[in-house]
Amino acid sequence: MATKKIGFTCAYAPVPIIEAAGFTPFRVFPETDSKDQSGYMLHDNLCPHVKKVLDRALDEDLPELEGMVFINSCDSMRRLSDAWQEARPGDRTILLDLPSSNTDASITFLAGEYKRLLKTLCQWNSVDVSLDKLKSRINAWNSLSQTLGNIEHAMGKNFYPGLFSQYQKIINLSAMHGVDKAFLKAKEIDPDKMSPQKGHAPVFIFGNLLFDPKVFNLFEEWNMHVADNDFCTGSRFVNSVDYDASKDLFYSLASSWMNRTPCARTMDIADPGAIARKIVDRAKSCNARGVIGFTVKFCDPYLARIPMIREALQQESIPFLMIEGDCTLGSMGQQQTRIEAFTEMLEV
Amino acid sequence: MMYDYFKNMVDGVSQKLLQDPDSINAKKKYVLEIAKIGQKLYTRDEKIAWCGVTIPFDLLNSMGVTSCFVEFVGAMLSSNETAPIFIKEAEDSGYAPDSCAYHRAVTGAMLKDIMPEPDFIIGSSSPCTAGLAVMEDMARRFKKDFFILNVPQNNSKESIKFLTDQIKEMTRFITAHTQKPLSMEKLGRALEFFNESSLILKDIYNLAKQTPSPVDNKLLKDFGTVIGLIMGTREGVEICQAFKDELIDRIESQKIDPSKEKIRIMWIQNRIQYKFPIEKMLEDFGVKIVVDELNDVTWEPMDPDNPFESIAKRIISIPYSLGTNERIAHMQLLAREYKLDGAINPCHWGCRQGTGVRGLTTRGLKDVNVPVLNLEIDCVDSRNLAQGQIETRLEAFVEMLT
Ligand code: SF4
Ligand code: SF4
Repeated sequence: MATKKIGFTCAYAPVPIIEAAGFTPFRVFPETDSKDQSGYMLHDNLCPHVKKVLDRALDEDLPELEGMVFINSCDSMRRLSDAWQEARPGDRTILLDLPSSNTDASITFLAGEYKRLLKTLCQWNSVDVSLDKLKSRINAWNSLSQTLGNIEHAMGKNFYPGLFSQYQKIINLSAMHGVDKAFLKAKEIDPDKMSPQKGHAPVFIFGNLLFDPKVFNLFEEWNMHVADNDFCTGSRFVNSVDYDASKDLFYSLASSWMNRTPCARTMDIADPGAIARKIVDRAKSCNARGVIGFTVKFCDPYLARIPMIREALQQESIPFLMIEGDCTLGSMGQQQTRIEAFTEMLEV
Repeated sequence: MMYDYFKNMVDGVSQKLLQDPDSINAKKKYVLEIAKIGQKLYTRDEKIAWCGVTIPFDLLNSMGVTSCFVEFVGAMLSSNETAPIFIKEAEDSGYAPDSCAYHRAVTGAMLKDIMPEPDFIIGSSSPCTAGLAVMEDMARRFKKDFFILNVPQNNSKESIKFLTDQIKEMTRFITAHTQKPLSMEKLGRALEFFNESSLILKDIYNLAKQTPSPVDNKLLKDFGTVIGLIMGTREGVEICQAFKDELIDRIESQKIDPSKEKIRIMWIQNRIQYKFPIEKMLEDFGVKIVVDELNDVTWEPMDPDNPFESIAKRIISIPYSLGTNERIAHMQLLAREYKLDGAINPCHWGCRQGTGVRGLTTRGLKDVNVPVLNLEIDCVDSRNLAQGQIETRLEAFVEMLT
């Protein structure tokens, strides 16, 4: 079991590549008691995701890391990569360029970036690049993804108290301790052996980050049944790899990451604003009575898309609640009244 | 409304130029050419494309497309004092006040139907995530075809190839909408004009480096960004030449007042777009903006035999396509070349791309003994302007520098 850790901050960093280079992934979540000092380097108008991760870096609130993987997913993230080099000049870092459109040329380019990532990580770990190893880690990842997919499916059909929180713990485990550990935990869960309950309002939730498992327990206390989710710390993170044997392995990885339900920063140029329609479709397919968006403040990709999402949901008469915060459990407490009022309105 | 605005500007400036045909009038000629683009956008005689800031306008011009970056409209609305109406419209429709006001103004203009409908839309990931998002929204609202130029931050062989291929693909996309294939001859001519303009720009900037500098606080305001709209044309060459002549004339006729240059500073990124007399305030303090960060030629000459790759390299070389380290290195170079005493960073609210790294920029310039005044000011939205506070901070900064 690899003990050397590689830090990363974005769901576009493929965990199978980190593991194939012999490292354990460590997602640096923006959760810390470190003092707020990122303002020395970055402006206060950057999202709390980026600022808190930088606070952790400045305050040494991190395990020993062999290096950091950054993704050029948005301005704030690329600015974090710049600031990290200044905050911890001794760290090895790599910044991958992530195209914004999901065209074939973009996927081919991203495949090259993923190849560069594997090569670099293998160099950092003084091991040879092994495509067999990568395939095996992709298989392990796909098994995890499928098992979690089954849990998601069950949660879409019925309300199982406490299950969402367990599901989130497993995702976090995969991001912080590796896929194998997460898979073992996931296998322990069998919704068929659990008793569903009635009376909670089925809601589809989406946004950028919501990773504290306790948050989902709170939601249940507030009468919400999270029927499905779309977060870069949730279902989007454990995206399975469509492995096409006729294509390059890195291309398959890149294609799977670019074509999954997109984060707001990735666009389908043939269908501008597709994110709004996709959210409507996801909400409908899990029979959600309402949709709640959770985004951290100052997140440009979501700030720009919320109006189109709101419009699309309105057209379908699906009630929508938008919550902006800093993605912590603490900030969620302040939203109790709004969320309770919303779920009440959904009249189960 | 916007058509009239640009038309009046074209008519008014043309008349003034006629009254004084022998004088150099660089600024007026420049305003006239830019206003003509505005007028064309609202006349719709040609194919129209709304674009991102770093799109190669020389290439689009050579393909017969009238094109412009959308932030230009945000700046225009701000300068004619109407931006608050449109910004409010966008905010009332759910666009967050935390986003960049260039984009809120453009979005409001779109919602209020004063953005001319384009034939197609070309966004780019540089300079900013928010800029690309507004282009996507535009493509959705206008139901127009959308193309994205992804500009990688890593300046590697692979990145250049990726961008080069995208530019080639972009020409096919444009042809599909104009039904006119790219003429390599026309592109070659556009690149020659571009190269000629670039050489004159270098001369302009070299003249501006002199002590005392022949520029004044307004002459080259946002010049590096806006001149890109016309650099691939004969008019672009003529405008650049007029600015060069103007600076030479100021030097030769000794029209430069050294008392207005006790302190030489750089302005970081974009200027304030609405009527706010900061340039005058600075002048009264004896402070001269000798350089704007984006007023520089960062690219090699365009190679007409290898046009797409040259354009790709050029786009990647623009400061806001770069990582912060390279961007700071560029500012440090400007600091040395222009013998700067200080710099002003307007910290435009909502700009994660530039303002985002406020602290790093400040440190980077401090390393070369250039203090930075970080003003928290929205360059487009004048609604919350605290004029008194800004004056006080400027005064304190100037005192510190003297
Ligand atoms: S996508 Fe949003 S939340 Fe994520 S780093 Fe970028 S701005 Fe922050
Ligand atoms: S000011 Fe910043 S956010 Fe606004 S358009 Fe310019 S680069 Fe983009």
